[in-house]
Amino acid sequence: MTDLSHIRNFCIIAHVDHGKTTLSDRILELTRTVEMRDMKEQLLDSMDLERERGITIKSHPVSMVYRARNGEDYLFNLIDTPGHVDFSYEVSRSLAACEGAMLLIDAAQGIEAQTVANAHLATEQGLEIVPVINKVDLPSADVPAIMVQLEDVLAIPADEAVLTSGKTGIGIEDLLEAAVARVPSPRWADVEGLRVLIFDCIYDAYKGVICYVRVFSGSVKMGDQIMTMGDERKMQVKEVGRFSPAMTKQDSLNPGDVGYIVTNLRDVADLKLGDTITHSANPTKEMLPGYKEVSPMVFSGIYPIDTSDYNKLKSSMGKLRLNDAAFVYQSENSVALGFGFRCGFLGLLHMEIIQERIRREYDLDVISTYPSVVYLVTKTDGEKLEVHNPVHLPDPSVIEFIEEPMILASIHIPSTSIGDVLALVSEKRGVCEHTETIDGQRVMLVCNLPLNEILIDFNDRLKSITHGYGSMDYEMNGYQKAKLCRLDIMVNAEPVDAFSSIVHLDKAEGRGRALCKRLKEILPKQMFKIAIQAGIGSNIVARETISAYRKDVTAKCYGGDISRKRKLLEKQKEGKKRMKNIGSVSIPQDAFIKILKTSDGGSN
Amino acid sequence: MNKAGESAVDPVLSVYCHVPFCASTCDFCAFYQEKPRRGDLDRYLAAMDTEFALLPKDRVVDTVFWGGGTPGLLAAKDLERLGRSLLDNLKQPPSEWTIEMAPSAVKEDKLAVLRDLGVTRISMGVQSFHPELLESLGRLHRPNQIYTAWERVQAAGFPQTNLDLMFAIPNQSIEQWEADIREAARLGPTHLSTYCLTFEEDTALYVKLSQGKVSIDEERELQFYERGWELLAELGYAQYEVSNFAKPDAACLHNVNTWRMQEWIGCGPSAASQYEGQRYQRPSNLDEWAKGMEAGLPPRTECVDLDASILLADALVFGLRMNAGCDLDLIAKQFPAPDVLAQLEPLLSRLAREGLAEREGSKIRLTHEGRLVCDAIGSSILETIAD
Repeated sequence: MTDLSHIRNFCIIAHVDHGKTTLSDRILELTRTVEMRDMKEQLLDSMDLERERGITIKSHPVSMVYRARNGEDYLFNLIDTPGHVDFSYEVSRSLAACEGAMLLIDAAQGIEAQTVANAHLATEQGLEIVPVINKVDLPSADVPAIMVQLEDVLAIPADEAVLTSGKTGIGIEDLLEAAVARVPSPRWADVEGLRVLIFDCIYDAYKGVICYVRVFSGSVKMGDQIMTMGDERKMQVKEVGRFSPAMTKQDSLNPGDVGYIVTNLRDVADLKLGDTITHSANPTKEMLPGYKEVSPMVFSGIYPIDTSDYNKLKSSMGKLRLNDAAFVYQSENSVALGFGFRCGFLGLLHMEIIQERIRREYDLDVISTYPSVVYLVTKTDGEKLEVHNPVHLPDPSVIEFIEEPMILASIHIPSTSIGDVLALVSEKRGVCEHTETIDGQRVMLVCNLPLNEILIDFNDRLKSITHGYGSMDYEMNGYQKAKLCRLDIMVNAEPVDAFSSIVHLDKAEGRGRALCKRLKEILPKQMFKIAIQAGIGSNIVARETISAYRKDVTAKCYGGDISRKRKLLEKQKEGKKRMKNIGSVSIPQDAFIKILKTSDGGSN
Repeated sequence: MNKAGESAVDPVLSVYCHVPFCASTCDFCAFYQEKPRRGDLDRYLAAMDTEFALLPKDRVVDTVFWGGGTPGLLAAKDLERLGRSLLDNLKQPPSEWTIEMAPSAVKEDKLAVLRDLGVTRISMGVQSFHPELLESLGRLHRPNQIYTAWERVQAAGFPQTNLDLMFAIPNQSIEQWEADIREAARLGPTHLSTYCLTFEEDTALYVKLSQGKVSIDEERELQFYERGWELLAELGYAQYEVSNFAKPDAACLHNVNTWRMQEWIGCGPSAASQYEGQRYQRPSNLDEWAKGMEAGLPPRTECVDLDASILLADALVFGLRMNAGCDLDLIAKQFPAPDVLAQLEPLLSRLAREGLAEREGSKIRLTHEGRLVCDAIGSSILETIAD
């Protein structure tokens, strides 16, 4: 057991791509936590997807021993956190496990939206912030300018900054010394009773549910009967240990320790991140602060392309959920797409990651419907509904009003693109609440926007307007009434449920027209002419007609050809079976994919 | 096959005879054929004797069709042997007897033999009167051979004659197509067949297609179809099937019988049959077929057992290719599968509603627009019939 004064718990926070994980790699090398021969890039990112996209999805704690310049050994617990806004609750729980945060800023890019958001999160958690200017070896590095930004935007004294390069290893030792000197030793250790924070959990096929924890007070060991204080779930401790970086069994976990607890639970959904673990027999009085339930913000239907893959998809979703309690799903049936699932995600990135993992890890071809947010509908009879599938929106005549979720976005952009970005914000029904100058070249806009409007292409367009220099972070900002309606797409007067969407009344016509036009381009001509319409209720706002094709005939057909010809026609019939028949029109699967993949959802 | 009904619905019986020899292989042809060698010819003729001997003795064979290959390639004495052998096994001579000939193989002695046998119809594969187009199809004959052959056929005095023409050949202009039709009509056969060039697998043209040397242009093909149909009507050849046009009472009964889902027995390698409730084919290999015949075990491949619902569906699918269309009451009587017609009713009435078909009482026929998409209609019919 290490003396509390020689334990430092900290995390590294940064905007995406500012070099967080590479820096962690250097720290592991310097503390000889990982032998050089075992070292590989992005060591802490164990998923292929994480390595490939250079993002961190799950938290990765690691314990290491550092011999400081004063000759004493310190136990460092470093928690690598997901950086993306979708996982901000997870980030905040990881931060809550620490006393200090290394705030990493790219020496060339400067302060970005997530730098600010993460710095605020860390301050909220009462963490000591150590500013780190990273990538100082880059030719385009401008350290003095970053120092000015630090003081102006984050009100952090510039002389506190440590200069590093994760690539060359410059300043890594200074950084570790700063951790010794500036990160406080573990707090709240003298509270009576066991208080353990769950900041992540995973499912292991052999061991069951494993909690990633930070012990604040008390001590926990194998065989203990423990419970969560949030929902009083009781469980037994099967094993405890540390990450070094692989899971290493210990006799006990004590105040200040970061490690894991293997429980007898079988489902990660039984545990809530941020909950406090205590002993069942003599619980502590007060939970650790900051715990809340997270609920999915973005919903989308996921359907197997080959309908016979339904059960495979179901089981792969079950497996994904084992490790990701924030991902929810329930079965759903679409006329157009058959049997599939309605899935809820924390945000867009979370959605993309789940879809990608289904494709990649479970080798399934899936099609996803337009993402939707959760609308609050108040009916004329006073009943309130939550609607996250356009199909479930009640008839307009019984709706008193609809409210949609809003976000408060902080958008960091070069000053030169402010006009274009403001135009984008207003096109997306947003309002800019205030602007703030970061330095001579950059400004920050704080905007109130409907979440629905940023689902599809907002980020891409922001990047393209700002030539890649814009960044955005957001937090939820309550609900707001809006004139919304369901836009249906009909093929020969029959609605195609997969194409329905909830849109703002002012945008319905334009979007309807664009979707009809796109469908006309995509749908193959058929034997009969096809009418494509977009409508709100019974009101048609756009229409297109696909004329019938004029030739489909084989010239030669005699006695000897009949068997062959019949086989050919049978084959065509089989091909049509794989299509979805809507309004007596056979719609090929790839038409759905093309339409649903139209990045802007058909709007211009 | 249902034989319980009235005698009026007893199927008509035809015989098809495949002569698998060609002097060379045309670029568009996917039919089974071999280069003629004396040994093979003798073996073929002997095995055909065996196969003809299997023909039913109690049924009247209404029509006979010799196709290939190039039946006309056989020497006069071989034609005579094959013809006599067939006639020896028939209850009575057929009312229609067609033989396919390539222009380059039309000789007076052969025509005389065929005339004596009782052949009623000569079908000649002209394809085009334009030398460059003939060459691009890999045909052996030159335009002047067509004229010589035609004079000989006319002189021999067959009651019915047909010329095959081909269109939408790579580099063929619509004017060339019109000129071919006019020239064929000027010669005055009783029947014309026109075929859109198709790219069958295992043909030289298909290879060119997959190499990107030629391409399929649906719009262009449509133009050729429509212009051809229009011009043929003007010239007095009435269309009675997608690819077939005839002067009054000169339709090829043999083919009509097959489209009406009657019965036919195919003799020779690769020949297909529809007989006594089964569809089957002889092996597409001279040796394999001949061995089976020699051993007294006629080999059947690609067997499909037929029932009334298959035949009813096919009577519609193939019947609708004909301008006369189908009489639903009649085919329901011939192929009693009551559910099938009921299932098809919504589709048939939609076809009529959308202008692709016309209905009059129990009769249904495709319109011009419908005929141009008859493949799609055929697969919709099959699609509609529940498995």
